[in-house]
Amino acid sequence: MKTTGEGEREYRRSELLKLAAVAGGAVILGGPAALAKAAQEGATSESGRLQVLDWVGYGNDGGQSMFAQYVKTHPHNKPQFTHMTNESDALAKLRAGLKPDLFRPYVGWVKYFAESGLVQPWNPKLISNFKHLNPFMVKAGQQHGKQYGIPDDWGFDAILYRSDKVHPKARSWGLLFDERYKGRIAWFDDLEMLVIAGLYLKMAKPWHQTDEQLKRSQDLLIKKKHLVRLIWASESDLWQAFGSKELWIAYAWPNDWVQMKNKHLKVVYMRPKEKPIAWVGMFMLLKGTPRPHLAHAYVDAWSSAKSGKWLENNYGYGHANTVARPSSSALLKALQLTNPKAVTEPAAHLDRDIPRRAVYARMWEEVKAS
Amino acid sequence: MATEAGAAAPLPRRRRLRLDLSTPALLGLPLGWLAVFFLVPIAIVAAYSFNVYSIDPGPHSFTLKAWHDFLHSPIYLKLFWKSVKMSLAVSAVVVVLAYPLAYFLALSGTKRKYVLLLLLIAPFLTSYLLRVLAWKVILGDQGVINSFLFWTGLRSPDHPVSQLLYSRFAVMLVLGYIWLPFVALPIFVSLESLDRRLLEAASDLGASRLQAFRRVTLPLSLPGIFAAFLFVFIPTLGEFVTPSLVGGASGYMYGNQIVDLFGTGFPDWETGSVLAIFLLGVVAVLTVAFARFLQPGQVATE
Repeated sequence: MKTTGEGEREYRRSELLKLAAVAGGAVILGGPAALAKAAQEGATSESGRLQVLDWVGYGNDGGQSMFAQYVKTHPHNKPQFTHMTNESDALAKLRAGLKPDLFRPYVGWVKYFAESGLVQPWNPKLISNFKHLNPFMVKAGQQHGKQYGIPDDWGFDAILYRSDKVHPKARSWGLLFDERYKGRIAWFDDLEMLVIAGLYLKMAKPWHQTDEQLKRSQDLLIKKKHLVRLIWASESDLWQAFGSKELWIAYAWPNDWVQMKNKHLKVVYMRPKEKPIAWVGMFMLLKGTPRPHLAHAYVDAWSSAKSGKWLENNYGYGHANTVARPSSSALLKALQLTNPKAVTEPAAHLDRDIPRRAVYARMWEEVKAS
Repeated sequence: MATEAGAAAPLPRRRRLRLDLSTPALLGLPLGWLAVFFLVPIAIVAAYSFNVYSIDPGPHSFTLKAWHDFLHSPIYLKLFWKSVKMSLAVSAVVVVLAYPLAYFLALSGTKRKYVLLLLLIAPFLTSYLLRVLAWKVILGDQGVINSFLFWTGLRSPDHPVSQLLYSRFAVMLVLGYIWLPFVALPIFVSLESLDRRLLEAASDLGASRLQAFRRVTLPLSLPGIFAAFLFVFIPTLGEFVTPSLVGGASGYMYGNQIVDLFGTGFPDWETGSVLAIFLLGVVAVLTVAFARFLQPGQVATE
């Protein structure tokens, strides 16, 4: 066995080819059962704990139900988690030398990571639940015809507000900039805020703003920043501040709405007329991982209808598995979980690649520093 | 005579050699530690700031662009100035608060001064994070202070004092609380080492207690005051944990910007390194400038 870094990559590439051959043969000769067996055998030949770079709440801090099947099948290769606060944070960690087996950026980053050389495509044949995944979301995970992202959780960026305190003049992103609620508003600590500003300013391509447009978006945010009490980076910070009634309005995700309802607050999750931004979580496989089979098995567990139902019930997010349905019909309706194209036009803007991401990031940092 | 002659005689060669070798041997470890874990990392960060190293793959070469952008950016320098002002205010207020405390402990003559000193630093036996988070409970809209105001009828529950948490005030208050014992200690040490005979002499010469304090105690305790001031000012200038927990949007400080540039924002290690090296440079200059005040003899003679 070669021991150099390059050698290891070659070895793993050959392993993957072998894996694909075994998988293909298994499909021809034995069907899905044989394929599952082949994948299982491949996974058991790998050693060590599966290294997962994921968001808070998706690991051993509450998300165990979504990968319980994996832990049951691979008790000696339990996942070990490192947290990411957003994709930029994940990128910084990867560039700095962190070596997870897989991680979860969102759909707007698929192109960036696929072209970064950091990741490799999945083999969908090794994921038994792949056939149940929403075809539109599956396609969104593809780049150059290869499946770089396996879709999983999905939801929206929209506005959460307290209906007993806030009376919006319109269903608009403008509520985040409403002077009447100074000191009661929370923004999200992400360059996506520039996209929101672009949507509010009625720009045709808020993900691809010109320098002049970006300046306008930045000026709006700087001008309105004095209204903002908190720029949250972690959901737990948002929940704490919103739950203790310091905040009335927030840029939020569906789970935040669920959490605040659980605290018996009168809250509304508003879809602005400029449309919410929809996101789809995409598992991505790191290039050169020594545990590709285990990573496939882990994603397979996450992709099951059982995991999907749990996610929907407990976090209020949608799940790419079309068979998964939440127990609550109210939740089903509120999140439009029955709509297979809930994440795209005309219902929402699907988050997308930002070609000038570094420029956006710099301008967002300047907003915070202003 | 024999002893004197022995003392005057040159050291045997073997002993001299041992002395000569022991000094670098003793210094070697700490110097090596300093070089490997302080100077080398700083050099690496500096290299990032000039794009000699880069987090992005692909070709890169020496450039001053990030430095140029930083020095011409009103936003970063304005943020730095905001942080300087906050740190200065915290340091000054905390020194003023800590001085009477240290004075009492050092000069009151109480036999329990070390017990009281221990009580003063007792909060340091608990987690820094816990102490900061406890302030969230105190300062929040439903927190201890607001609940008290509701109870007294000074504020209604619909109109709490909401500027207490997630504000610049919150950051400064919590930083002051965190650093107060650190400030009291150097002042205490400088006051305790004060030669009491000087105070007696001042009294004998007709000085009132206030005059003795102004003309004797205060000048002689200045090294402790300057040390205490620097003890707070330097770390709070680069602080990022407290602002991120209780600062909200308006309490954002220069240290938070460095962290965000390295991690949570789209990774921009080049600019982040510029900000970090600039901070380091300012702190180094301040330390050198204040160093002369940290020598007791220097101050006492002036």
